[in-house]
Amino acid sequence: MIWIGDVLASKGEGGVYNERMLGGARVWDPYRSKLSALYHVGTGIDLVADMRVLYLGAANGTTVSHVADYVEVVYAVEFAPRPMQDLLEVARRRKNVMPIMADAARPEQYAPVVEAVDLLYQDVAQPDQAAIAIRNCAFLKEGCPLILMLKTRSVDVRKEPEDVFQETIRLLTTAGLSVTESIWLAPYHADHAAMVCKKLPGV
Amino acid sequence: MDLNSAPGDPSIFYPCTPYVSIMTAYWFGEVEAGACTPFEGDAQAAATRVRSLRTSMDDFIPLDWQQAVACGVCRDRTEYLSKLQKVCIAGAELAVRESYAGKDVELLQMVRTLDEMDTVINLLSERVADWYQVRHPSFSRKYRRTPAHQLVKTIRERSRGGALGNVAREIEQIAETRTALAKEVSDRACAVLPNTSALIGGLVAARLLSCAGSIAKLARLPASAIQVIGARTALFAHLRTQAPSPKHGIIFQHRRVHNAPRALRGRVARVLAGKLAIAARLDYYRGSAVPEFILAAQARIDQAGTETAGKGGEPL
Repeated sequence: MIWIGDVLASKGEGGVYNERMLGGARVWDPYRSKLSALYHVGTGIDLVADMRVLYLGAANGTTVSHVADYVEVVYAVEFAPRPMQDLLEVARRRKNVMPIMADAARPEQYAPVVEAVDLLYQDVAQPDQAAIAIRNCAFLKEGCPLILMLKTRSVDVRKEPEDVFQETIRLLTTAGLSVTESIWLAPYHADHAAMVCKKLPGV
Repeated sequence: MDLNSAPGDPSIFYPCTPYVSIMTAYWFGEVEAGACTPFEGDAQAAATRVRSLRTSMDDFIPLDWQQAVACGVCRDRTEYLSKLQKVCIAGAELAVRESYAGKDVELLQMVRTLDEMDTVINLLSERVADWYQVRHPSFSRKYRRTPAHQLVKTIRERSRGGALGNVAREIEQIAETRTALAKEVSDRACAVLPNTSALIGGLVAARLLSCAGSIAKLARLPASAIQVIGARTALFAHLRTQAPSPKHGIIFQHRRVHNAPRALRGRVARVLAGKLAIAARLDYYRGSAVPEFILAAQARIDQAGTETAGKGGEPL
């Protein structure tokens, strides 16, 4: 990861969302991107040049563009047409972004285009976030990491975020993933947590 | 893979299992027992084909890009990715275009613009009235029954040339645009939601659509939900506390609801919502006006508003 002082950045063509540039690198704002926030508050998973990433909930392609700066290829899945228009614009300018308009809860829709990946990243606003992540582990290579951005308020607004947090860890563990890091993204994102898991052999 | 084998016990023959080994169909072609048939066609065609593929996620093994090389689709990784990206972009563009092709999509934007224009006009009218009062300390709106738009007109005429007059003129212009847009929304709603519009008018029908999100979602709403669409605060106050349940939401804007005597309003709203639920389904699944339904429904709603306390007759 590229740190300039205590600023996280990525090297690539700038101007995607009017991001600040610093010494020719694009500043990756932790307040805008949950993945950046994870690198600020915790450890996360280092993005390296030969990584293949499946990115669920790509939205406008803001975080996607930073991930794409680091890795070989990003398969970016997004369901809604409006953000997809922006994501397409990002894809037209970056050779390693594969835009896929599909429902992350239905991996069979994009199974014919996605290969086995080294990192599964998920940031979807759905109540069954853990189940979606588990279903998509079919694309994840053995021993490779899953980063789940848990939006506790999307799971259930009436439940305490801490309860949702514990429940999600339980679900992921039951599915045979080992949770290696689980951390709240405060102060960057309220009621959001990041969970880093590892796919164990035979799952 | 044995074509007739099903997941689980291979000795049992399941007649309903898919008859092809679907696992092997990828975006670049079909791989079967080591042999590969590349897909012939451009990115568009490939994208269309990808959408039609049905992959089973049981015992799923992700594709290996080197199969594409073996298939003769590409020579190396770079070419693989560039070809795949063309297919992905074509597919996503197609999907975006399709999701905007629905005839309700634009209507949704139109009615939301209309409602926001109303908000803006009200806000600005109040503001210029306040401004005008500062300029004319003796001016008061009390005891004058001047409608807001007439007040704006007066302000424009009396403060010609200045910024205040210009703002007032702009408000009038927005109001003009708003009137034209309202007509267009109404006409469009009559085309998109013919049955619903026939029952409550184009504008209110369009607002129902706007709240539901799409014609497909509106058609799937139960009548009880349609009855209270737009009464969110009241509904949640009711669910949380002992507050009475809301009788009506947006449909209150329809004359037969707000003109009904207080005691009957809830009933009219309920009957109207029941008929609207049917109308929305006709609009979605049939797409054209059904005169017999509209006539019968109108009669039923009118009856709900007139009969005394619902004694006798057909149950409500």
